[in-house]
Amino acid sequence: MTRRRILFLMGVAGPAGCSRRNRLRLNVLNWPTYIDGGALARFEAETGIGVRQATYESNEEMLARVMTGNSGWDVVFPSNYFIPPMREMGLLARLDRSRLRNLSYLDERFQAPGWDGGLEWCAPFVWGGAGILFDGRVRPAPTGWRDLWDGRYRGRMTMLDDSGEVLGAALKILGHSLNSTSESELRGAYELALRQKPLLRAYLNAEVRDQVVAGDVLAAQSWATTAQQAMDAAPHLGFAYPREGFSLYADCAAVLRESRRGELAHRFIDYILRPEIAAGLVEKARTATANAGARALLGAKAAGLPALYPDAETLERGEWFAPMPAGAQRLRDRLWTELKSA
Amino acid sequence: MNRLLTLTAVSLYAFLHLPLLVLCAFSLNRSRFTVWEGFSLDWYRAALGDGQLMEAALNSVVVAVGATLISTAIGTLCAYGLWKRESRAFTLPLSLTLATPEIVTGVSLLAFFQWAFRYLHMQLGMHTVVLAHVSFSIAFVVMVVLARLRTFDRSLEEAALDLGATEWQAFGRVTLPNLMPGVIAAALLAFTISFDDYVITSMVAGVDSETLPMALYAMARRGANPAVNAVSTVMVVGLGALILVSERLRKR
Amino acid sequence: MRGLRELCLAPAAAVLAALFAAPMGILAAYSLMTRGAYGGVATPFTLEGWRRMADALYVAVLIKSFVVAGISTALCVLLGFPLALFIARAGARKNLYLALVMLPFWTSFLIRTYAWMFLLRDTGLVNTVLLGLGLIHEPLPLLYNWGAVILGLVYGYLPFVVLPLYASLERQDPALEETAADLGARPVETLFRVTIPLCAPGLRAGAMLVFIPCLGAYLTPDLLGGGKTILMGTLIQNQFSSARDWPFGSALSLGLMALVTALLWMQARRKGETLP
Repeated sequence: MTRRRILFLMGVAGPAGCSRRNRLRLNVLNWPTYIDGGALARFEAETGIGVRQATYESNEEMLARVMTGNSGWDVVFPSNYFIPPMREMGLLARLDRSRLRNLSYLDERFQAPGWDGGLEWCAPFVWGGAGILFDGRVRPAPTGWRDLWDGRYRGRMTMLDDSGEVLGAALKILGHSLNSTSESELRGAYELALRQKPLLRAYLNAEVRDQVVAGDVLAAQSWATTAQQAMDAAPHLGFAYPREGFSLYADCAAVLRESRRGELAHRFIDYILRPEIAAGLVEKARTATANAGARALLGAKAAGLPALYPDAETLERGEWFAPMPAGAQRLRDRLWTELKSA
Repeated sequence: MNRLLTLTAVSLYAFLHLPLLVLCAFSLNRSRFTVWEGFSLDWYRAALGDGQLMEAALNSVVVAVGATLISTAIGTLCAYGLWKRESRAFTLPLSLTLATPEIVTGVSLLAFFQWAFRYLHMQLGMHTVVLAHVSFSIAFVVMVVLARLRTFDRSLEEAALDLGATEWQAFGRVTLPNLMPGVIAAALLAFTISFDDYVITSMVAGVDSETLPMALYAMARRGANPAVNAVSTVMVVGLGALILVSERLRKR
Repeated sequence: MRGLRELCLAPAAAVLAALFAAPMGILAAYSLMTRGAYGGVATPFTLEGWRRMADALYVAVLIKSFVVAGISTALCVLLGFPLALFIARAGARKNLYLALVMLPFWTSFLIRTYAWMFLLRDTGLVNTVLLGLGLIHEPLPLLYNWGAVILGLVYGYLPFVVLPLYASLERQDPALEETAADLGARPVETLFRVTIPLCAPGLRAGAMLVFIPCLGAYLTPDLLGGGKTILMGTLIQNQFSSARDWPFGSALSLGLMALVTALLWMQARRKGETLP
């Protein structure tokens, strides 16, 4: 430890990072909380490869940081709907499947996903969806997005601060795809969302968790992983995947084309695909693994959490986010700004 | 009048420190949530045992000290130059650096660095973070020092010149010592905004330059983690103690 | 005199040229380009980003931002002045008191904002205390409204007005005020006729240091306002993130900066002096 400190201080004093040059190093840009320090330390102990991890808040932020192709990062974790655009922009390196033996542990659903049928560019890592986190003491419990337009939660309800999710829920109520690009459908969804706004306390993302636990908020549109964390702390809470349909996303490991450490990157990805490693990671992060081998290792309780692992019938109602064309994205942002300004 | 002033000041200090007390309290809470469950030091153990977090804290101190020294030096000189004769060529861009929303500063600096480094074969790192911090804190320094200079009597410096001092001597021996309270205030401000910056830093940081706000942001945003409160408390107590000690030493 | 002044200004000129003018040049170029599908920019060149700004929707956002920044600035000055005066008169302890103002800001802003969210929410400290004292029977809606947004901005920017005010007040000779009192001025008169006029440079600098950054503030209003409204900072931030429209975001921020320039210029003209 002390030696590392000294090395580090030298690294600061001299040109950054010089003292580390001769060590194997991999630079990973990831979402927060997915991979903790313990797992990285174990990887280093096994392989001698040190991992430097930094985090990002949104796919767009990650893309801005790696877009010019001289960022220094090796491995990133784009969401499924960012894989095709990043591939088209020439940012991703083709995966060498022969070096990723643990890909075979992936759940059948992720062996040939819609966004990368041959798993040539990415390895699905974790996934999730959005639904309704609610206080079970208020009856009746919600079963669909419609219930969030109902007066029973007036002033004590929140939606996500995310245009795709809010418009998505409204589109689902109207019976459309959440990836809709049609102007009339989107305008209809906007009108619906506008009618809901006076009932809302706020548009909140992960911050809502504490307030649902404390009882300030009685119902919230929420991602499954946030909901699971809240439910761990407060047993009176419940989570429902709405009957009208809901959004799904998967965050996938990918290697940047600029990386000159492709081999180390593959070893790292194969490592996090290893069932016992993947199981340990999702158990800490309270999110759902795309890895069937890992899920089998989770205890019956953890593997059977309905918020993280909805049954096949529920999953039928889910719809994956898809890449959004520029024109539709602009219209969505304008409607979102209008909704916020209203 | 004086009593009223003291009372107002005390309540303002209370206003400023209230959130500090809250996060201090929750750093000692056993629960992961903002609901009191009982006393525990676990979060301190978790925070201090987190190597990456400690490294980020060290990075932050290095960046903030570096950026503060550079921007205070450059900014003070600039304010002095402007005080001698105003120049819109400087004051306007300086005010505009304040008017630039953080994200815009971040994106434009990132674009600039990425473009320049392609030819220089360099990568983002601590140096880009320090440069970015200098760029946005310099205006604060100039404004604070200038506010001080404008209450400074020009005849003092002129008297020194009349008595045979060179320009440099007049600046170093007469003006600068008189400026010190302003320079200290400016340095404090520069240090604070540098130490606290997240939006710009996260854009221009490279692989080796994660700062404390970035680490804390990552920890807090996706699930409040009281270890974050613990780190903040340690930071505040540590820096507070440092100031107390330096005050004591200065008085001796 | 010339040599020293130029020498003093040179480093700042270098910094401004490299780290302000050049990036702004890039931004200006962005604002004239077409959006890339996933962020970034592409050719051909177009004026569309600028044209879209005239939309009544965005003008309304701008006006709202000015009002919020104006109110926050006024409150900051009102609260910051007595605090700066207190510190300036604290004698040997003034540096310590000054540091006490900055101390809370050495924690992460996100953590401070979360602390405010805890203080202000229904089951938060303020409401719990008020309910416990029997002063109210229903929790007050303190969070996710304009009040919370302005509170957050005032809290966050208070030091920015205290420091320059302190820097100009500290110089003032207390004897001036004593003289005024001896000549029969009441304390209030002394305050308005002597103290405040003498610290006008600090007052102006402080107000600017609050007002201008407030215009582009983004996370505080978003978190404490509960995302129910949109201000300039958030609008611009959105263009660089979820909306993926960098040209429009660049045009918006350059437009905001042009407006600030115009304001500063007008103020300088009126006062018959240069900036700031």
